[in-house]
Amino acid sequence: MTIYSLYIFDRHCTCVYYQDWHRTKRPRPASSGALLPGVSNAVSGQSDSQAGQRASLTPTGGVVVALGNGELDRMDGPTSMSTLSFDEEAKLVYGVILSLRQMVKKIAVKDDTLSNYRTSTYKLHLYETMTGYKFVILTDPNAESLRFALRQIYTGPFLDYVVRNPLMVMDSKEQGIDNEYFRAAVDRFVRGLSMYN
Amino acid sequence: MAIYSLWVINKAGGLVYQRTFNEGLAPLTSNDALVLAGTLHGIHAITARLSPTGSSSGCQVIEAETFKMHVLLTATGTKFVLLTSPAEPLTNADLVLRRVYEAYADGVMKNPFHTPEMPIRSEGFDTRVAAIVKGA
Repeated sequence: MTIYSLYIFDRHCTCVYYQDWHRTKRPRPASSGALLPGVSNAVSGQSDSQAGQRASLTPTGGVVVALGNGELDRMDGPTSMSTLSFDEEAKLVYGVILSLRQMVKKIAVKDDTLSNYRTSTYKLHLYETMTGYKFVILTDPNAESLRFALRQIYTGPFLDYVVRNPLMVMDSKEQGIDNEYFRAAVDRFVRGLSMYN
Repeated sequence: MAIYSLWVINKAGGLVYQRTFNEGLAPLTSNDALVLAGTLHGIHAITARLSPTGSSSGCQVIEAETFKMHVLLTATGTKFVLLTSPAEPLTNADLVLRRVYEAYADGVMKNPFHTPEMPIRSEGFDTRVAAIVKGA
């Protein structure tokens, strides 16, 4: 069981946060200007070219695991590059959940929402808050539903370090969630899940 | 545990067969059903590209709170989609889909009067599908 990546989208359809763990197929860095600053150190283009800076982020950054963590999780040998750049990938993820959500709404009798979908290599879980933030996590296909975990990220680190943070501009459309405490707390939480390993 | 309905989507994303077995989902107009089938076809292709590790199939199971969708993609690109209650076991739904595929191969593809990729109008297929779903 593994956990691959976490995306947070705000209500304006933009990706405001990204972190990954056991990802073997990495996205290409986003083209400049296509991604809000602060979303992720791993894929924002500028910092990705500086390997030294990457290493210094070890305790908190999402990148780390892909660099160092065990052969166990490497399913197809060394890390390969995806053909998608990160900003394109984020848009596709958002597009998929949006379309699926609408489809579910149309098919179900009462109010219903997408909870997850599974393919042969991964499972995507979605949790949406009342304020329109969408928490998306990609895991191993055999994982149980992780909505509770996404909810805990929302009620825990997200509320504490982002919503209640006076320095954080919500809905800025210019800045991602650029907060080391939040990044560290999410990292700790995900590593603590029984699914992780 | 209930099977709500079955869709067959051709390789171009068109809905060629739709049948409802049990109530429990909102009734769809045929236009809505066509749109949803097309959407699912597109989503299926995108989900295969989003894999964080190695190459992936498209979505196989989509779960909502009140229902589940199981998708079987055949080698020829035809998709069989089964809408069930969330409690429906995975193996059971897969089995139903495989049997329906078999019935499709026998009752539709071997029918000389059937035009490929066109809507399926075959009483034989209807009865076989009904029997499979009833037996599940």
